[in-house]
Amino acid sequence: MIHYDVIVVGAGAGGGVAAGVLAEAGKRVLLLERGGHLIFSQDPHDHLRHQRFSRHGHNAGPEIEGNPRVAVDAHGQARVVRPHEDGYQNNAAVVGGGTRVYGAQAWRFLPQDFRMASLYGIPTGSSLGDWPISYADLEPYYERAEWEIGVAGDGIASARHWPRRTGFPMPPLPLNKQGQVLRAGASKLGWETLSIPALINTMPYNARPACIQCQHCVGFTCPVDAKNGTHNTFIARALATGLCDLVTQAMVVRINTRPSGHVSGVSYYGREGQIQTADAESVICAGGAIETARLLLNSASPQHPHGLGNQHDQVGRHLQGHYYPAAVGLMPEPVYDGVGPGISTATIQFNHGNSGVLGGALLADEFIELPVIFWARQLPPDLPRWGMANKHFMRENYRRVMRVTGPVQEIPSPEARVTLDPSVRDRWGMPVARLSGTTHMETVRTAAFMFERAHEWLQASGAIRVWGQPPGLYLSGGQHQAGTCRMGNDPHTSVVDQWGRVHGHDNLFVADGSVHVTNGGFNPVLTILALAFRTAEHIAQS
Amino acid sequence: MLTSNHWNILRSLMNRIIPQDDFPDAWEAGVGNYLARQFERDLRSQVETYHLGLEALEAESQAFAGKGFTELDTSAQDGILNRLEAGQVTLSWLVNPTEFFHMVIEHVMEGYYSDPGNGGNRDSIAWRMIGFKSRE
Repeated sequence: MIHYDVIVVGAGAGGGVAAGVLAEAGKRVLLLERGGHLIFSQDPHDHLRHQRFSRHGHNAGPEIEGNPRVAVDAHGQARVVRPHEDGYQNNAAVVGGGTRVYGAQAWRFLPQDFRMASLYGIPTGSSLGDWPISYADLEPYYERAEWEIGVAGDGIASARHWPRRTGFPMPPLPLNKQGQVLRAGASKLGWETLSIPALINTMPYNARPACIQCQHCVGFTCPVDAKNGTHNTFIARALATGLCDLVTQAMVVRINTRPSGHVSGVSYYGREGQIQTADAESVICAGGAIETARLLLNSASPQHPHGLGNQHDQVGRHLQGHYYPAAVGLMPEPVYDGVGPGISTATIQFNHGNSGVLGGALLADEFIELPVIFWARQLPPDLPRWGMANKHFMRENYRRVMRVTGPVQEIPSPEARVTLDPSVRDRWGMPVARLSGTTHMETVRTAAFMFERAHEWLQASGAIRVWGQPPGLYLSGGQHQAGTCRMGNDPHTSVVDQWGRVHGHDNLFVADGSVHVTNGGFNPVLTILALAFRTAEHIAQS
Repeated sequence: MLTSNHWNILRSLMNRIIPQDDFPDAWEAGVGNYLARQFERDLRSQVETYHLGLEALEAESQAFAGKGFTELDTSAQDGILNRLEAGQVTLSWLVNPTEFFHMVIEHVMEGYYSDPGNGGNRDSIAWRMIGFKSRE
């Protein structure tokens, strides 16, 4: 049996970067992924079964059967849910993870996002905290992610808000019709806008072609491989070294420890269903905020009866994603021009400094909305759901409706959490994740404030009518899941240290959204990538 | 399994959910084909609900209008569907009439507006109607 230097659990954003950095540093790496390879020719662009709209299934795993979770709603009602159903908080389970099918927005967190408790105080009942690192600590790694994975954006506009040493390697996405209309509206309001940075090639880059501006971006694999994830950058680089073994359909069920807390390796089920053990000098968990927490909890031992890193009951708490308050506007003229991916324009005017609420969100235009999603989510609430009036609205207004929304930075609650369900097991016989609690009420208040700004932006842009409503109190997670193994200097209130090392375990690390103390008012993937660079570099040097 | 009689009622029902104008109604656009495929796939467990719901709709139509649902003119059909939506039925149903109708609406829209690979939206007719372009 090979003795590895590092085992990485999960080949998504964080795990892919970690595997690549460590293999290129000469380490022998085992990269274990529960899913398989999703390739374009096997992704039929099924509008009812993909990561964005999983009405009857999905395209990026995990398998519908054998992978249940238990979702507990705000009233305490528990139900068993499958991966494509509401409440599961699914993230893709394939090589590349979410980066294989994401919309690829590539935002840095702002310097203020690392100091939320200092800026706003800690509301009663919340676990709002400062990060143990600053924006400046992460900046070099944001830059690496932007250049080595590949981000298109407007470096000059970005530099007005984010201290940065370099621009972006590629020019921004095209300014489409809806973006032009929204920019005109913003300028009436005196709001500054900027191009949305994206992990998408706007010119040939990294030996792959430019985006063809198709209509099936978010939720799907790219037809020309112009969408940059870890599958076509750092995992490919890891494999090219000859030092990384990638094993797919490998479900890690346990991290093995010695009584001292030192990790010896992992146990996993391979594709033939047999359990195997692999040993390594270090283990990195990168299964996403829900599965990483579950794995640590499922790895209890006589010396660690509550799970690894959980001596202070922190693993699995502070689960957060993003609230997305959305306003929908009917415009006098068509704003749909079919130029994909669709996103073009954002404002970060309201990420901080809002009177009476904590934090905020970026606001942006939307990806091209597939017709069936448009029907399900975008119609005015008073429109009949059937009949000629409904058909006519679709005919006349599909091209004249646009949506403004953005990810609200959640004010976390320790009661929003992942635990092990006492009775439900997965196909390998392991206790499944039980998701319970909700975000803090302050998140709802900020979301209501941001809804008003979205509404205002559409009106200023000429909307004849605006609809939508601000969200109520619930648990969010999904593709932006974060916070369950938060980073901190104090083991009583955190799970990992500033390098991603699990307190009490000298060679166990986490490199995914779990370590985020707070999740920014931005899509979190660039931060996950940057932190993985930092953690992997630290391991490589030690 | 649904009988040909059930399918006739379902055809009339889906064509009130998406009626014909100068673009096709639900059946013409292939929604029946979409549903037939889904009854063998993701909607297997709901075939019985369709069975019960369609039979109840037929009985309701007989009781309320004195004719089978397929024999009514379209405005009388719409009248019964409006009553279903409001939960104002005269007979006792074995399935919740409002929930049944809303479920059928969802499935009909899925067939009409999703990709042709799912069996409906023949020749991307719904996409051409609304102006959704697809390069692939």
